[in-house]
Amino acid sequence: MNPLPLDPSLPAPLARREFLRLLGAAGLATLALPAPRLRAEPAAKPAHPPARADACILVWLAGGMAAPETFDPKRYAPYEKGLPYSKLLSTFPSIPTAVDGLRFCQGLESIASVMDRGAIIRSAVQPDLGNILHSRHQYHWHTGYVPPQTVHCPHIGAWMAKVLGPRNPVMPAFVNVGQRLEGVGESEELKAFTTAGFFGGEFGPMNLPYPDQAAAAVRPPKGMDAGRFASREREFRRLVDASPDRERLSDHHQQSMLRAMDNAHRLLSAKERASFDLSLEDADSRRAYGDSRFAQGCLLARRLVEAGTRFVEVTTEYVPFLHWDTHGKGHETVARMHREIDRPIAQLILDLESRGMLDRTLVIVASEFSRDAMIEGRVGSTAGDQSHHRGATIEHPDHYGLHRHFTGGTSVLLFGGGVRRGLIHGATAEERPLVATRDPVSVEDLHATIFTAMGISPKTAYDIEGRPFYATIDGKGVAAPILR
Amino acid sequence: MRAHLLVLAPLAAAAAPVDFAHEVVPVLRKHCAECHTGEKKKGGLSMNTLAELLEGGENGPVLVPGKPDESKLVTVVVAPADSEERMPPKGKGLDAREADLLRRWVAEGAPWTPGFAFKAPAYEPPLRPRRPALPEAVEGRTHAVDRVLDAWLRARRQPIPAAADDSAFLRRAHLDLIGVLPTAEEARAFLADASPDKRDRLVRSLLVRNVDYADHWMTFWNDLLRNDYAGTGYIDGGRRQITRWLHRSLLENRPYDRMVRELVNPVPGSEGFAQGIIWRGSVSVAQGRELQYSQSVSQVLLGINMKCASCHDSFTDRWKLRDAYGLAAIFGEKPLELVRCDVPTGRAAVAAWPFPELGQVDPAAPRAERLRQLADLMVHPDNGRLRRTVANRIWHRLMGRGLVHPVDAMETPPWSEELLDVLANRLADNGHDLRDLIAFIATSQAYKSRAEVLAPSAAEAAAYVYRGPRARRLTAEQFVDALWRLTDTAPQKFDAELDPPAAAASAPRLAAKAIWSDDTPAGALPAAGESRVLRRVFPLSKPPSRALATVTCDNAFELVVNGRSVGRGGEWWEPRILDLTPHLRVGSNEIRLLARNGGEGPNAAAAWLQAHLRFPGGETMSLATDAGWEWSPRGEPGAAWRPVRVLDDTAVWERGERALAEQLAQLQGFPRLAARASLVKADLLQRSLGRPNREQVVSERPNDLSTLEAIDLSNGPALAGILAQGARNLLARDWKSPGEMVDWIWLSALCRPPTATERRIAIGLLGEQPGEQSVADLVWSVLMLPEFATVR
Repeated sequence: MNPLPLDPSLPAPLARREFLRLLGAAGLATLALPAPRLRAEPAAKPAHPPARADACILVWLAGGMAAPETFDPKRYAPYEKGLPYSKLLSTFPSIPTAVDGLRFCQGLESIASVMDRGAIIRSAVQPDLGNILHSRHQYHWHTGYVPPQTVHCPHIGAWMAKVLGPRNPVMPAFVNVGQRLEGVGESEELKAFTTAGFFGGEFGPMNLPYPDQAAAAVRPPKGMDAGRFASREREFRRLVDASPDRERLSDHHQQSMLRAMDNAHRLLSAKERASFDLSLEDADSRRAYGDSRFAQGCLLARRLVEAGTRFVEVTTEYVPFLHWDTHGKGHETVARMHREIDRPIAQLILDLESRGMLDRTLVIVASEFSRDAMIEGRVGSTAGDQSHHRGATIEHPDHYGLHRHFTGGTSVLLFGGGVRRGLIHGATAEERPLVATRDPVSVEDLHATIFTAMGISPKTAYDIEGRPFYATIDGKGVAAPILR
Repeated sequence: MRAHLLVLAPLAAAAAPVDFAHEVVPVLRKHCAECHTGEKKKGGLSMNTLAELLEGGENGPVLVPGKPDESKLVTVVVAPADSEERMPPKGKGLDAREADLLRRWVAEGAPWTPGFAFKAPAYEPPLRPRRPALPEAVEGRTHAVDRVLDAWLRARRQPIPAAADDSAFLRRAHLDLIGVLPTAEEARAFLADASPDKRDRLVRSLLVRNVDYADHWMTFWNDLLRNDYAGTGYIDGGRRQITRWLHRSLLENRPYDRMVRELVNPVPGSEGFAQGIIWRGSVSVAQGRELQYSQSVSQVLLGINMKCASCHDSFTDRWKLRDAYGLAAIFGEKPLELVRCDVPTGRAAVAAWPFPELGQVDPAAPRAERLRQLADLMVHPDNGRLRRTVANRIWHRLMGRGLVHPVDAMETPPWSEELLDVLANRLADNGHDLRDLIAFIATSQAYKSRAEVLAPSAAEAAAYVYRGPRARRLTAEQFVDALWRLTDTAPQKFDAELDPPAAAASAPRLAAKAIWSDDTPAGALPAAGESRVLRRVFPLSKPPSRALATVTCDNAFELVVNGRSVGRGGEWWEPRILDLTPHLRVGSNEIRLLARNGGEGPNAAAAWLQAHLRFPGGETMSLATDAGWEWSPRGEPGAAWRPVRVLDDTAVWERGERALAEQLAQLQGFPRLAARASLVKADLLQRSLGRPNREQVVSERPNDLSTLEAIDLSNGPALAGILAQGARNLLARDWKSPGEMVDWIWLSALCRPPTATERRIAIGLLGEQPGEQSVADLVWSVLMLPEFATVR
């Protein structure tokens, strides 16, 4: 692998050649790769399926997106004072999509128009974890393991970074866009799965909570111009070179540290860092996505994947009781969320397609569970009711919506890389309880589908504390038949 | 085999494929292991490995993958009970479900977890203490650690590692023992010291710095005991911190056996460890409180991994479901039912601990009694495992690699059993004094030797060869503490809830008087906003090794020593301890208090300072506000100075004077002058440097820098902000030349003077007139040097 050209707008670090010579034994080929992380070694060498996609974008509708309000419309009941909750399945009428027999909720016209490029799983199910806690289900969804666990589980993005490595050695393999991890509720819980876990930090996410500020993450620090940044690096390398302990220059630990510094500097001075800067995107293209934070996140995801990132998660953001987490005012909030996601997601698909990237990019649109107007958890669950409105009838517009968490059946959209087009997989009941009635797809099976599309066997395992740890729990996930 | 399964898997979706580890192994273990695993090979058949099983026995093959009807393994278990061929020959044999499982497993191609073997463990660690005979000392290397290691090396024809140089040793000892770097003054003094015993003296002098020691080792124990955790499970207030108990245990150097007792059988303040994390929602029984107790106690204290056995009999060691539940049942308030892989077994757990050879807990006893019995057994003099486990952890911290490694897997053979015994015995024989064990290791020649230069192959090699201590990356806390000190940017306040410093048995009397200017008319009070410069000029014939002052003022002060600002304070009842050491010099010195009265109308004003100076020879000197001080309105050059007024009636400031007296007691030791990183909540910088969220026990942190961490260090706003402020602080000091600043940075950060080349590069970077940017860039470059970022 050749080192990538440096950004011509930055002065070349003069001592670079010298610095690389010091890293000597490692050689240029390995220099392009991240430091080895051999704490966990494959326990099994599974035969990986052929990769149908090279990159993956997970569009995460955090907070519990109600399927009957979005991609799986049921009988519509307009608002009326005194409407019994038992009669409420959907608060939006349905609209046709580009696929015969597939209908969405009103407000999602743009996504509806691109459904011929993808498939929908209508029967994704989640386990009953007792009292609903979003972050527990999110942990499960993102790692494949129900928390708590006795080992630190890696995020699926970290699995891809670990097993597949970076597509472009300059770019971070795993980027997480749009989720703040500080200063929001349940932030420790979010951090618990936004991690490479026992794979080690090299495979963890680069977090970019604000897409419009992403460029700063790969720029020299605030107040430092390119010239000063380059000269600081140059002087640092001269000091490394001048180190009096000559023997230690070959030390493995020291080299691995310097390699990480070199990787960092390479990204911070490579042309690829332009991919983080949304201001460089053509104005028409920016307009096509829209200017909300989520829309910018979708655009950033496309730019990062184009530059060589392996896995990007982009989210509407989880903040307890905000966005999709509707414990009240459900209809009003979801109508806003429709507006927030409809154009950006559709544009992401069209944009990838027009750039010839869709065939090799897997896009997933998912949430931790669905919602229902009556049932908390699933039928028969003892989970505590968390709705703000507990009467039997709807007495105020604020009551109109699906305010309880539902784990018995929800929808997942998949587009691009290897996904059969126009496919509808599974179904949910037409009357409450709206459970999956055909071809249920568990989190494990969904992960097996995603991993298989990416060319990773769901049985891939790494040794941790002397036991195998699988990409899908005990290697048991089975890919849903939605891949080509 | 795996590929085969993969193809099969989608077809077999209706019936999930048989799970070898969780379904087949227990059947084979239950019915076949007695005669066909380990050393046993009845009929010539061993099932230890797949290869042996495929080889078959005296009567030919028993297993044909994919063909159950041709596999004797499948047919003999369903043969009539009285027939010749029926296996097992005695007992009830396999039930229909078990027999079907075997048949399906063979039909599916008999997948076998790679590397799995039924063998009995080749190594069973000793439980009781052992007293190995020490080899002869050679070349005067009499320390017990060196006697064992030298013989170990001799037997392997390995050279004895060369000694580390003074700088490396000084830096290593500071970072390992108290977690902070020496000051430039301390470094200079140590390097200049020619006495042969200075290294041992350094070790002892560091370990008496109670506060520094406790603050540093909090990091290690917090990781190990899952303390200072703020994640899942806290949302419902489900877990109590043990910070106060832990810090006090370290500060007072409580014996380790007492700490163990109080962790196993909690006392007020230590309950959080035993109680674990309460998760919201329904949680696997294997993660309930009782099983968490079982896992934490066995992992942390005994180096036993009970995580596997919390769900099913372990496949990797000898621990069984009943062992994990035995410990859990000691702690459980109600009877516990054994649950195997989330399926209740109908059997009740019996309270028991894993080493019945030392005695057993009475399962019929009430809970409090059971816990007391467990605590007794845990610290039983014959429980060598307890001492070996902690001694190994300490060795790992100081030497970079465990004698048993990884340190939680105490069932693994140590690379030197004798050395592990020597360390464990030292701990047991010396009142379980952890600081003594640390001193014992740190005063060996082994600890004083040069860190191994690690070849890439050695880093991952299975067989460890001792070649000296191994370099370790600074912990996030060590890095941030060093950064704060170097740049003088440590915050004053911290988050950890600690006991207030213990009042000394005989608090020194406060000599400092309340002083103010003498121009307030009798019966009047100083005006609001009145500023006064109060000063004392005094000579020093030699530089002090340490000079600390406790200072306060009603209402605010800035302390300036020889023209350099040392610190500020604002609340008169919260005096500050400030370090004057770097600012004092031989000859005439001036201490100034820039004091300011607050309030909205005339009100009482006063300032206090008492300093304690210590000199290399051990002499001390005290300096306090008194009638010998002078004042001036502004203190400009050429100002006239008048004697201050000493205020006699200080009753209104009783609280402040008491606080001053309490701090006075600390001046003679090593008080905490600012927050330590271990005592503040993990921020982005510390997280980025590897401070974990302690959902699981952490016994080792990643040693490598990741690319994302390197990016954060290269351009993260947190570090950049500290460096900018730090550069301003450094520039405010009195440097004769850029070279002097460079020397100081090298001594403070690396404990050595720069080489001529380094000095030239650094001065070049600073330029003729060092500015904020060039100083920040130089400090950054030094912080990023692997030499800085590692303990070596």
